[in-house]
Amino acid sequence: MADDMITEGMLDMFIFETEQGLETLENVGLDSRDAGEFDDDHVNEIFRIMHTIKGASAVMMYQNIATLAHKLEDVFYFIRESKPENIPHAELLDYIFEVSDFINGELEKIKEGSDPDGVADELIANLDTYLKKIQGSAGGGSAKKEEAPPAHAPEEDKPHFYIAPVASEDSHFYSIYITYSPDTDMANIKAYIAVNALKGIAEDILFTPSDIISNPDSASVVLEFGFKIALQTTETADVIMDLINTSSGIDQVEVNECTSDEFLKFCAEAEAGNHPGSSAGEVLLGPIEQPTVRTDAKPKEIPLTEEEEKVSVARKAEKEEEQEKKKLAPKKKKPAKKAETQSFISVNIQKMDLLMDLIGELVIAQSVVLQNPDLKVPGLDLSNFQKAAVQLTKISSELQDAIMAMRMMPLKNTFQKMNRIVYDTSKKLGKDIELEVIGEDTEVDKNIIEHVSDPLMHLIRNSVDHGIESNEKRQEIGKHEKGKIVLAAKNEGGQVWISVSDNGKGLKRDEILEKAKKNGLLGNRSERDLTDKEVFNFITLPGFSTKKQVTEYSGRGVGMDVVVKNIQEVGGVLEIESEEGKGSTMTMKIPLTLAIIDGMIFSVAGTNFVSATNAVSEFIRVDEDQLVIEPDGEEYVMIREICYPLVRLNRFYHMSNSKENLSDGIVIILNHEDRKIAVFADELVGEQEIVVKPIPSYIKKVKGISGCTQLGDGSISLILDIGDLIGK
Amino acid sequence: MRTLIAEDDFASRKFMLKFLSKYGECDPTVDGMEAVDAYLMGLEADMPYDLVCLDIMMPKLDGYQALKAIRDIEDERNIPENKRAKIIMTTALNEGANVNRAFDLGCVAYAGKPIDQAKFENVLRKLELI
Repeated sequence: MADDMITEGMLDMFIFETEQGLETLENVGLDSRDAGEFDDDHVNEIFRIMHTIKGASAVMMYQNIATLAHKLEDVFYFIRESKPENIPHAELLDYIFEVSDFINGELEKIKEGSDPDGVADELIANLDTYLKKIQGSAGGGSAKKEEAPPAHAPEEDKPHFYIAPVASEDSHFYSIYITYSPDTDMANIKAYIAVNALKGIAEDILFTPSDIISNPDSASVVLEFGFKIALQTTETADVIMDLINTSSGIDQVEVNECTSDEFLKFCAEAEAGNHPGSSAGEVLLGPIEQPTVRTDAKPKEIPLTEEEEKVSVARKAEKEEEQEKKKLAPKKKKPAKKAETQSFISVNIQKMDLLMDLIGELVIAQSVVLQNPDLKVPGLDLSNFQKAAVQLTKISSELQDAIMAMRMMPLKNTFQKMNRIVYDTSKKLGKDIELEVIGEDTEVDKNIIEHVSDPLMHLIRNSVDHGIESNEKRQEIGKHEKGKIVLAAKNEGGQVWISVSDNGKGLKRDEILEKAKKNGLLGNRSERDLTDKEVFNFITLPGFSTKKQVTEYSGRGVGMDVVVKNIQEVGGVLEIESEEGKGSTMTMKIPLTLAIIDGMIFSVAGTNFVSATNAVSEFIRVDEDQLVIEPDGEEYVMIREICYPLVRLNRFYHMSNSKENLSDGIVIILNHEDRKIAVFADELVGEQEIVVKPIPSYIKKVKGISGCTQLGDGSISLILDIGDLIGK
Repeated sequence: MRTLIAEDDFASRKFMLKFLSKYGECDPTVDGMEAVDAYLMGLEADMPYDLVCLDIMMPKLDGYQALKAIRDIEDERNIPENKRAKIIMTTALNEGANVNRAFDLGCVAYAGKPIDQAKFENVLRKLELI
């Protein structure tokens, strides 16, 4: 997200490394929480991280970050060297988190392009006091240890400073190649005019041959080998083109953008070619073998590309070397990291989305080909075609799997954040709560992670705040075990289930019912008809809170509906189970794949409808005598002694020319969560992989439809939203 | 403070000259070669430069080469650490690799162009040059 704002290598690197450091810092901190103290490894790790951050921010001249990091480093230097006993761990942990939060905040400012101007004086003062305190308590016995002044933590080398350029740097590097028509007079002067024109916009410019003014012979060199310019400017290639084209006799101009490294390399090579005594054109001489075809413009491109290739190879080698060098320094401490980082590349998420879209289109195109009406000529021998089709289908489904797998990320990071939230909130509320994490390696789509993290945070806060009773209350009611929240994730039949359970007081069915009645949410149903789940689901409605008091963390009743909305956005549902006095479990069930699903197609009055195949439990022909009509007009079908509510799609969407008689059409039993519904349609069409596309925004939300897709014959099919149909 | 500026671009050179002249004598040079020569002359005359600002992309000798040459001369003459010139690279090449390379070669600061004057002065203060 910040990519387009920061074009500066050094800053990028600083932000990346610092963020990584802080993440490790928090994890180390949380790891040690239960132990109540830092072991030697932790102390060393934290010391190392703070040292690195201090160094890096000093180089970048972010004084506030550097000072703060230095202070924390001092504290850990003292701990490492003097090994004081009985240091107040929780207090220290708080300071660590405060430091981490502060630096993170400053990093955000830097990313936005503003100056990190936060003031950490108070925090530094606190750390100072803390340091004095532990020094004091440790100092009693060993006075000499106190001598080791922690302020002089080993300063390893001379300070370096990096002065970032004033504005966000947006200059580009170009290599320009100009050829002149062979009959041009004084090509050197023409070339110089071009250079002169560019000087106005150039931050830096180099050209070869460089002696175009002083050496009249260079005219022939320019004619023969072309004229090369390396240019650094903030202008675009078009502007450069226009400027160059002001001089006459130009045959062809090529403007290529290159990186600063290539640029530098090019400059160096141009220099090398221009040593006194050597011909000006020597740079270009190497790759060019046949001087006879000079007059033609085309072959001249070849030497350039060849040279560029050479340049890029050289550059790569240089880069690798440099990377090697860079890696050597931190490698001392973390040799394992290296292999890990090397086997990953990071890809812009937009590119992944594009790839995903393209694969979706490919699946559609594939079904258009395979189900093409042209193939339906009677007597056509399609056996070879079918074989090829099977192969194609196999490959494209593997392709889908591959892209899905590529987008998968473990939930680890998200879960780790929750750790911090539990720590913060429980501390503030004075509750003793531990968090257990299960299945943090479960992988889900990146898109889902983004949608899941907010709701998850909310659920956790709810559990800490409302779910789990205060320590005194727990004592009082005889709950002896510690308050506990279990955060679990697992894959379950094409879905990922993420659940938050607590062993707190649970939901009060009666209270919720009462409130629901007051708000008129029951409709015409009686209390008894409602299952526990339905009752608990009331708490996900907007503005519904039974909590009388609002706390800092939750209780305004705007929470749960937002949670549900977020989950629904990725096609998931929230399930709530609870037992009063024992605790509650909130489970988010989210489909793993979002874009391509197996669909069952059926038609009503010539319109196709699709439902996800795994939602279809059976098709059945039903006779009229199985139909039960309630006095209020609601219809039900009895199938093997079970009663299903019936939805006739033709009536629901007001379509004529369809089958009215139950026995003529077909009934499809669809399930959603644990409820079932019977849907009446004219006929089944078939099963097919479908690519879910949203309904275009110019169409108002249609009840019971969640999206649309294109079928093999090019027709549009509507995707049924079963949950919506049930809730109609 | 005696300052040596090596910068091939006229406008940048003029800017640096104006900017740094208020802190003492400033000598402009137009490429790396001339900068090294000027630095040597300073040493010979026993009036060494306190600060050297080197552009990186320069004809004849680029900034890296000039930086290395100056450090080599100082090594050869056994000039003590605190007497050595403070070298600041001034360049538009801001990629990490370039910056680290310059640090490895022994410059104290690396200033990206366009130059942030306030920060530049800040560094000079830290280096106790002004």
